[in-house]
Amino acid sequence: MTLTHYAFSSSYFMSFLGLIFYRKHLLSALLCLEAMMLILFISLCLWGLILASTVFSAGPMILLAFSACEASAGLALLVAMARTHGTDRLKNLSLLQC
Amino acid sequence: MVYMTYLLLIGLVLGLAAVASNPSPYFAALGLVTVAGMSCGILVGYGGSFLSLILFLIYLGGMLVVFAYSAALASEPYPEGWGSWPVSTLMLVYVLLVVCVSVFFSGGWFEGSWVTVDEFSEFTLFRGDSGGVALMYSSGGGVLMLGGWVLLLTLFVVLELTRGLSRGTLRAV
Repeated sequence: MTLTHYAFSSSYFMSFLGLIFYRKHLLSALLCLEAMMLILFISLCLWGLILASTVFSAGPMILLAFSACEASAGLALLVAMARTHGTDRLKNLSLLQC
Repeated sequence: MVYMTYLLLIGLVLGLAAVASNPSPYFAALGLVTVAGMSCGILVGYGGSFLSLILFLIYLGGMLVVFAYSAALASEPYPEGWGSWPVSTLMLVYVLLVVCVSVFFSGGWFEGSWVTVDEFSEFTLFRGDSGGVALMYSSGGGVLMLGGWVLLLTLFVVLELTRGLSRGTLRAV
């Protein structure tokens, strides 16, 4: 495992921990998810670049398109939550639960 | 160039620790901008200049504008930066965790592991990665159509999610 691989793996797991250990704002969780997708894009690019198989360069493009879909769906959930509940705090979803 | 790449990698890890320690969304978006810039530099260092350009234009130009807009939507009166103690403690814990785990993996780090693509083709017109991306339009046409279809489907998903107060998917019951 080289330094580059270690940097990507550790940053991926850091953003993963930041996603699963945080329950306050929805937008922070979405930002951590977006950071995970960014790290996946970088590591998929570097897979082709280090191995000098540049035919694989179309793979990160497709991943970027799918991550745009994921980000837009998450932000649509955020907008819907801000319209129905007034804020993006996750505690507000179960505030009036009986 | 090796030390430059190592510096960019350290900046990537620090920026990810700044995002993952969950400050307020304004600051987290700033950290994500930092991470995207560092990763553009890393891709250039490894020889993928076209992929770096794509990342810079699409990611910084497209997504982060939307995220900044959403941060303005979900604003709060007292934002929490990296100066407040829960955020700074969490960031310190993440950085220390990375440093401690790196002791186990630091045996195989040597400078020869840094190999760029297209190392001996300095004078050609096309870089290898731009040629590889261009293959998406010929051989990968099916996947390209699939991606376009998924983007169209996401448009309807977003319209259905944000339809209204009592008709949308997420409702205040």
